[in-house]
Amino acid sequence: MRPLFHVPPGLSMSKSRRSSQGLTGLTYQILLALAEIKQHGYGILKEMEERGGPSAVPSTGALYLALQRMESQGLIAGAPAPESPAADARRRYYRITEQGRDVASEESRRLAVLVSTARDRALLGEPLAPKHGKA
Amino acid sequence: MNSLGWIAGAIIWGTGVIVRFAVALCPADFRAEYGDDLVRTHRELMDSARRQGGVALMRTALRDASGALWVATRLRLGRDVSSVSTSTFYRRTPMFDTLWQDSRFAFRGIARNPGFAATVITVLALGIGGVSAIFSVVNAYLFRPLPFADEHSLVTIYETNPEFGWDDASAAPANALDWRDQVDAFDDLAIYSEFANEATLIIDGEPTLLAGGGVTGNFFEVAGVRAALGRALRWDETWAPNATSIVLSDRTWRTTFGADPSILGRGLDFSGRIMTVVGVMPPTFNFPSNETDYWAPMGWEPTARQEVWFRRAHFVRTLARLAPGATQQEASAQLAVVVRRLQAEYPGTNKVMGAGLMPVRDFLIRDVRKPLLILGAAVSLLLILACTNVATLTLVRASERAREVAVRTAVGANRMRIARQMMTEALLLACLGGTAGLGLGWFAVKAIERLNPLGIPGVTSIALDGRVLFATLAVATLSGILFGLGPALNGANTAPARSLKEGGRADTRSRGGMQSTQWLVGGEVALALLLVAGAGLVLRSFGHIRDVDPGFHVENTLAFDVTAPTSRYSEREDVLAFWDQLTEQLEARPGIERVGTVGRLPLDGTSWSSQFKAEGWPEDRVGIEILHRRSDRGYFEALGIPLVRGRLFESADRDGPLVVVINEQFAAEHFPGEEPLGQRIAYDREPDDESSWYEIVGVVGDQHQISPAQSVRAEVFENRDQDWSRQTNVVVRTAGDPSAAIPIIRSVVAELDPLIPIAEPRPLRRVWRSSIAQEELILMLLGGFGLIALLIAAVGVYGVTARAARRRTHEIGIRMALGAQRRDILTMMLTQGFGVVVLGLVVGLGLALASTRALSSLLFGVTPNDPLTLGSVVVLLAAVAMVASYLPAFRSTRVDPLKSLRSD
Repeated sequence: MRPLFHVPPGLSMSKSRRSSQGLTGLTYQILLALAEIKQHGYGILKEMEERGGPSAVPSTGALYLALQRMESQGLIAGAPAPESPAADARRRYYRITEQGRDVASEESRRLAVLVSTARDRALLGEPLAPKHGKA
Repeated sequence: MNSLGWIAGAIIWGTGVIVRFAVALCPADFRAEYGDDLVRTHRELMDSARRQGGVALMRTALRDASGALWVATRLRLGRDVSSVSTSTFYRRTPMFDTLWQDSRFAFRGIARNPGFAATVITVLALGIGGVSAIFSVVNAYLFRPLPFADEHSLVTIYETNPEFGWDDASAAPANALDWRDQVDAFDDLAIYSEFANEATLIIDGEPTLLAGGGVTGNFFEVAGVRAALGRALRWDETWAPNATSIVLSDRTWRTTFGADPSILGRGLDFSGRIMTVVGVMPPTFNFPSNETDYWAPMGWEPTARQEVWFRRAHFVRTLARLAPGATQQEASAQLAVVVRRLQAEYPGTNKVMGAGLMPVRDFLIRDVRKPLLILGAAVSLLLILACTNVATLTLVRASERAREVAVRTAVGANRMRIARQMMTEALLLACLGGTAGLGLGWFAVKAIERLNPLGIPGVTSIALDGRVLFATLAVATLSGILFGLGPALNGANTAPARSLKEGGRADTRSRGGMQSTQWLVGGEVALALLLVAGAGLVLRSFGHIRDVDPGFHVENTLAFDVTAPTSRYSEREDVLAFWDQLTEQLEARPGIERVGTVGRLPLDGTSWSSQFKAEGWPEDRVGIEILHRRSDRGYFEALGIPLVRGRLFESADRDGPLVVVINEQFAAEHFPGEEPLGQRIAYDREPDDESSWYEIVGVVGDQHQISPAQSVRAEVFENRDQDWSRQTNVVVRTAGDPSAAIPIIRSVVAELDPLIPIAEPRPLRRVWRSSIAQEELILMLLGGFGLIALLIAAVGVYGVTARAARRRTHEIGIRMALGAQRRDILTMMLTQGFGVVVLGLVVGLGLALASTRALSSLLFGVTPNDPLTLGSVVVLLAAVAMVASYLPAFRSTRVDPLKSLRSD
């Protein structure tokens, strides 16, 4: 059977939980948060909270662990602070890399296929629940 | 700020501390890159949550604090971040499932390598078995309950006398009674005789010997025990010379009287004297001896307290209960005052007589405390050695399993899980070893018991009770953790890539694991040397003890007890006539060469001691602590005790002046350079008109009184015909096997008087054996430990060398292909591991030199640092280590170079 999801080089697939479900929720959320703008850690968490509510927010520790891993996998990279008065130069900003963008698009398409199937099977009679990423 | 504001502030501050602490725990690279940012983000998040309300604040605080600690733990355990899941919906396998899985895995691991498992279980079983055996002995002395109510308020008072060298002597009854009356800190004080008296009970015309203990009437009350049947004794019976009440022990009530409940009030015929059973004690109470059949009141004359002998003769032990609220210190202080008062009041007997007290348990175990401590220390060393050895073997095995661990890590098993699994395996092995050890311990306890009844006499006995089981379980678990910890950490830290690379091809560069096992083996050798040195010293010492000439023939001799009952042998003439007939008729039988009588057998302890003065000695000259024994001429002749000078007793002495024979030690100690023969002595410090004077007529060879290991003391033999007694030991020299004479003896005694039983017919060899039983037991235990230690060390050396040989198969193949000779390979393999063994030997020798001093009180005729013993032990261990490493080294030279190179 053809895998639903193409594994980019360097991305670990050692967790069985992930191999059938694509990226972890946290990885996908971070990629989403960085898709348009550079952000610092607090900004990423805030955006996740706006999108999914307080229960969708990971702990600060888990966020930084994921950031470190994604950096080492080349999905995101450190970036200079944006030139805006609100920007904090002491902070560490992140941007999405090309590879990260590819992985995020791939995952989005996978999820879109799953969501459209769910819609076909009348599982989405009501407006979408705010949770993303994981079924 | 309101109180809620304070609480929120405290939560924010506390969480911040936890998060910063967790960040500090993270690896340096992570900390440098993300640490500050993480803390800042956390702070902003908390501030934002605070604005949202209490619930949001609490949720964020809990989530961030636990999350930070979790991340720190994960990063600490494994730096390979790519394998760490960062899912916020991280699921855990339920603990039980994991445990079950680990156990199954452990079982499978053990089954896959049964040789390893068998070795580990055996080594642990030996260590844990030793511990459970020794602990059951220690338990019997230190922990098992004494048969007294509230034993902590019970003390024993003993007498001391620096002049006589008394440390914890029996008390004189008059002194004990004065302590009872004058020390307010004692609620009450009871007196009991240390040794039981044998009495002949006649049931339906059949004689039976019973051992009776004399006690004061308050004895049971002070001990805090009630009669199971009937009543205990009463204080007034102590002072009734015609008192006939006795209390039976449960054992005697059951065995002799078939647990007859109508025994109360029944009169028992003690060879004519009728005693009435007033009570039966519960089965738990046998104090002061297991052999006690009954307790009878002392039955002293009420006037005895005023008599001199009552303060001079030291033959009773005491048991005192402290008054409520009184401490031992108070009692000691008050006792000291009374002692001084008695010294002033009775200078003739009490001039230098002191007294002390100690808790009753301390008193009962005073002779075994030191050996127990030494055995405990030795067995602890043995257990440490066993654990070290198992850790070595497990490390060796773990390094061989590095590939397995690496594969499991690579396919996603986390380090924590692998470590836990290794721990489970170790614990499982420890439990199996513990179970086997408990079995071994049980056998050991049985063996020890058969050899020598241990435990506080009549009070506690050895048993593998709940306490021993619990201790064994604890030791097993602890040793499991101890030997599992190293390999678990080691296994969890294996770098998978390197192991996978190495696992396929044996590599000589991987020396880290090698070194730790070698150090452990060095430690094992050092510990083993210590244990073997202890065993060697005790062995040599025991050899010396066995070589000591006890001063009499132990071969072809036997002894038995006979008591001529008062009812039929009331006068001296009757008793002496009975002894004469007995001697005559026994000697007339074939196979019996010579018969004699003696009050107490040699090597069986001492009966009584006194001071003495020789006629014509100045006032300040006095002989201190001479032992007394009553015998006849036949005793010396039957046991082959040489007459050194003068003469033995003669029949003419029976009605002649009082005569005694002394031993050589007496002559040397009290008449140095003088002629002892013809001296007249009296057993008083200041003889008066009433003193009896004895003339020394002969000097005989020394006989050891207590044990071959204890030096001979000055002793005087009174003539049985003059100082007669109804109870005596008869000694018999036989032509052949002494046991064969026992039926003859029985029939002769029965012919003379069918109502006289003979007690304990026993070869003197057995008397000699039991006098060295404690030394023998210590030798067996320490010797056993030494042997096990040697074996364990050999296993350790073998295991490590074998592993080195296996790892270097490839290298050896290359060397041999390049022309190395087998001998070169052998030398290389032997010398490689031997450095550590030598270091172990040196360290062990140092430890032995420093610590064998503790054994000195157990040693006889050998110094704790005996160079011959220590030297032999070092050589022995070196030889064992050499052999243990030779086998695998030799095997490695049999390697076929082609095969070993191709096996890659």
